[in-house]
Amino acid sequence: MELQKEITITVQVNGRPVTAVVAPEESLLEFVRNRAGVTDVKCGCNKGDCGTCTLVLEGQPVKSCLVLAAQANNKEVWTVRGMAADPLMQALQESFATHGAVQCGFCTPGMLVAARSFLAHHQQPDREAIKEALSGNLCRCTGYKKIVDAVAAVAASQASARD
Amino acid sequence: MSSFAYAVPKTKDEALALLNELGPGGRVVAGCTNILPDIRAKKITACTLVDISRLAELKGINVRGEKVTIGSLTTINELLHSEIVANHGQVLWQAGQRFADPLVRNRATIGGNLANASPAADGVVPLLALDARVMVASLAGEREIPVDAFFTGPGKSVLQPNELITGVSFAKTTTMKSAFIKFGLRKAMAISLASIGLVVGLKGDKVDQVRIALGALAPTPLRARQTESYLAGNTLTPAVVARAQEIVRTEVKPISDVRASQEYRLHLTGVLLKRAFEAALA
Ligand SMILES: Cc1cc2nc3c(=O)[nH]c(=O)nc-3n(C[C@H](O)[C@H](O)[C@H](O)COP(=O)(O)OP(=O)(O)OC[C@H]3O[C@@H](n4cnc5c(N)ncnc54)[C@H](O)[C@@H]3O)c2cc1C
Ligand code: FES
Ligand code: FES
Repeated sequence: MELQKEITITVQVNGRPVTAVVAPEESLLEFVRNRAGVTDVKCGCNKGDCGTCTLVLEGQPVKSCLVLAAQANNKEVWTVRGMAADPLMQALQESFATHGAVQCGFCTPGMLVAARSFLAHHQQPDREAIKEALSGNLCRCTGYKKIVDAVAAVAASQASARD
Repeated sequence: MSSFAYAVPKTKDEALALLNELGPGGRVVAGCTNILPDIRAKKITACTLVDISRLAELKGINVRGEKVTIGSLTTINELLHSEIVANHGQVLWQAGQRFADPLVRNRATIGGNLANASPAADGVVPLLALDARVMVASLAGEREIPVDAFFTGPGKSVLQPNELITGVSFAKTTTMKSAFIKFGLRKAMAISLASIGLVVGLKGDKVDQVRIALGALAPTPLRARQTESYLAGNTLTPAVVARAQEIVRTEVKPISDVRASQEYRLHLTGVLLKRAFEAALA
């Protein structure tokens, strides 16, 4: 069995294959920012606490500082930037802006990714459910209320669009 | 050059052969939610990371007869989406809801939670209350260890470096009542100050079977055996519950730390016991 000190991996980042040589302990966060140059994913704490590094890996939102780059080999990741054409993401971005849910903006990409993943699977969430869904994402500026307002507004318009 | 190496075995047997060869120099990697922070904090240094995260053999939740089996790579989120767990291992489902946050739950595995051996582990406390068994494999073969006998201290277990946790199993608790309560300083992501997992079966108004598991109240998660045997056959009157609260406080060995004092944790132990019965029987 081969022990590798340098691992060549290919990851689909926002639909584009990125190939690079990574170290064994390199995180997916480092890969996406430094090798793929996709910097909307932020590094707030590098230990799983803050959620600024949230991206979608194989369809699920995860904290990319908690994933080895090598574990994403031959898999697909999506960040906010790659979801620019997605109607739900667009609605969330607009709602964040109109509700004043963005102050310094550092937590915003991670919040948006977590919120989008949640709303895609939950039809009529109440505020408690929205708070729980975003509980892995910290914000030092807004006090969360405006963020929850912004997500709740999109959830409500999704619901009325279905009626 | 990195002091780490990486290997990605294609089968469980390949992983076992490699772990056997590497001995203490090998480190199993599953969801990585403990390992990457530990690497960053330099608690884990120079070793070969043996990435088992792609081994389909270690995934999945199954029922056969009265027995539920869960593969070690099953994530907490997968537990929460399982009808089998929700119906037949309710306490594990309840604990999953209080585990970390939804993002961490998409990666954290039940095998990693066991192997990490935290006294506060939120996956372990419910498994104790389910009287689960840990299935472990090495080149030499397989063995099963009751969860109760698995831990030897904070961060320590009977697991050997050449061994892999392949899964856990427990008997269905379909007709029993359950509760899991985690008392932390913050709602999400907080390490438990104390937690309790309770599984109780009643016959008429008497306690027929009861299993009480406690987290963060001793060097390892623990079963409150004396409290259990006192309660068995008794009716849960206020006086009986009060006596059980006294007994359970003698079974734990909490520490004082930055988050809470020993006295506070002792008090909390009794309170959690009462609340767990209230929640389970509500
Ligand atoms: C922000 C954050 C919040 C958290 N909150 C909680 C919480 O609320 N409750 C809680 O209990 N934990 C919590 N944790 C800790 C962690 O998520 C869990 O312990 C998780 O279950 C570990 O699983 P993993 O697959 O990520 O393990 P890894 O990090 O991959 O591995 C952990 C350890 O287990 C070993 N290992 C893994 N799988 C196996 C196997 N199959 N056989 C043998 N050894 C194995 C590894 O070698 C390593 O020593 C949190 C972590 C973070 C970063
Ligand atoms: S940078 Fe990943 S959670 Fe903070
Ligand atoms: S807007 Fe500044 S951290 Fe959230």
